[in-house]
Amino acid sequence: MTILTVLNGGTQTTVQDAGRPGHRHLGIPSSGAADRLSFAIANHLVGNAWDAPALECALGGVHIRFESDAIIALSGAQMWAQVQGLNVDTNRAIAVEKGDILTLSYARDGCRAYIAVAGGLKADTFLGSVSTYLPAQLGGIEGRALKAGDALELGGEASGVMRTLPIGYAPRLANHVVLRARSGPEFQLLNAASRRYLFTTPFIATPQTDRMGSRLRGDRIVTDKPLSMTSGPLLPGTLQCPPDGQPILALADGHCTGGYARGLHVIQADQWLLGQIAPGAKISFRRSFEEEAPSILATRNALWGQIIPSFRF
Amino acid sequence: MSVATQQPKLLPYGDNAILIHWEVQGFDPDVSETVHRLAARLRAKHVFTEVMPGYDSVVASFDAATMPFGSVKRRVSDALRRDKGTSEKTAGRLVDIPVHYGGENGPDLDALAGAVGLSPQDVIEKHVARTYRVCMMGFIPGFTFLSEADPALHHPRHATPRAHVPAGSVGIANWQTGIYGLDSPGGWQIIGRTEIALFDKNRESPFYVEAGDQVRFVPV
Repeated sequence: MTILTVLNGGTQTTVQDAGRPGHRHLGIPSSGAADRLSFAIANHLVGNAWDAPALECALGGVHIRFESDAIIALSGAQMWAQVQGLNVDTNRAIAVEKGDILTLSYARDGCRAYIAVAGGLKADTFLGSVSTYLPAQLGGIEGRALKAGDALELGGEASGVMRTLPIGYAPRLANHVVLRARSGPEFQLLNAASRRYLFTTPFIATPQTDRMGSRLRGDRIVTDKPLSMTSGPLLPGTLQCPPDGQPILALADGHCTGGYARGLHVIQADQWLLGQIAPGAKISFRRSFEEEAPSILATRNALWGQIIPSFRF
Repeated sequence: MSVATQQPKLLPYGDNAILIHWEVQGFDPDVSETVHRLAARLRAKHVFTEVMPGYDSVVASFDAATMPFGSVKRRVSDALRRDKGTSEKTAGRLVDIPVHYGGENGPDLDALAGAVGLSPQDVIEKHVARTYRVCMMGFIPGFTFLSEADPALHHPRHATPRAHVPAGSVGIANWQTGIYGLDSPGGWQIIGRTEIALFDKNRESPFYVEAGDQVRFVPV
């Protein structure tokens, strides 16, 4: 039975879950919600398992009509969400009725909003995940972004639970994204000025920013000597530094291999923030020390694990 | 230098991955064999999120909350110490791939032949003469990075990548040769094309070849 119809797909709305890790050696990125935390929050608020399939809306412009009564929750970027023209809160479960129209305007801070529907959404599965991967048309609805006329069904039963986030827990998003990072394997091959700039001057995310990666603009980041690297494995969260000096930050759908210096790697505890980089956002990197990264991760896992069962960064 | 005496560097890759890297120039078949044996051994441990073999390196990612880097390093050193070299060589499957060389399937064949001082026919003969090892998959699904091409065929990438390279295109980039798995932008010198889908999500086995397999090109 159809639970919702897409009236306007907006900039880029896809079905995502926790992704399909473990296949990068075959050239398949894990994909999944670009901001894993906001995605998990939205699901938790409507009583779903944290990794149930939900909608990920980049930048905004989405209009959805509900075809039956439902419990939904919004999380992630604030997009002036309205139901039937009335403002609705993010980070709390809300009840919508048959015929109600949900509209998302433009991302005010951050880049991606998540819409979870109690019961989770039904979509195509590939390698155990429904996450949409656009370059190879995997998962989701025919492997593509949603468009007007798409009718989505529920994948499971709604639990009937409606939750709100405890006060103070809503992740704070901004258009200045600070990412804690450790050195990548080729960090020492960058010249001294570049190694300093990486941690002291902000970068701007250019319009070439999507689920695959974000091309940054800022001080030139170059290697000491021209580097002729053999292509090698690449992970999401890695900052690649090509010879033109403008680094590229790899995201959830990023290439599985690359041939440029891997300058920085965003720590595991901060990788959820990569999904909130909008074109035009300011990006700063902050050096994370060896002992610090695991303790941040343990603290964050403990904090959110109390709220969202079995969730881990 | 034999692989037995050549120890790789074990380097942190951020806080949740390790890079195992051999310092070699160009392609080294012994290192490539060792890379695939190590990747298989690490994958069998089922503690790594991703185990990704390359030409001269392996990257393995893990959950930094449960595995400190020191313990990861010990596991990798242990796996390297247990490596018995060629005795447990995994040959992989031998896969024939039919290729249409030249013409609209291989728009760069004539220019590449001219640049390296061979006739197009010689380029084809030299390209099909070798049996290649699948060294790495990615950057996109199905892209197949193969072992070294005949030294007479080595030629750099295009300075400006093409906006569209069709799926199945067979190309050369410096010493590497490989096959595009999907339509994508790309800078390799395209000398031919296969009609075989390297990646087909609707096939029972979506991947036509995997890292470690051997590939032979058959001209059609």
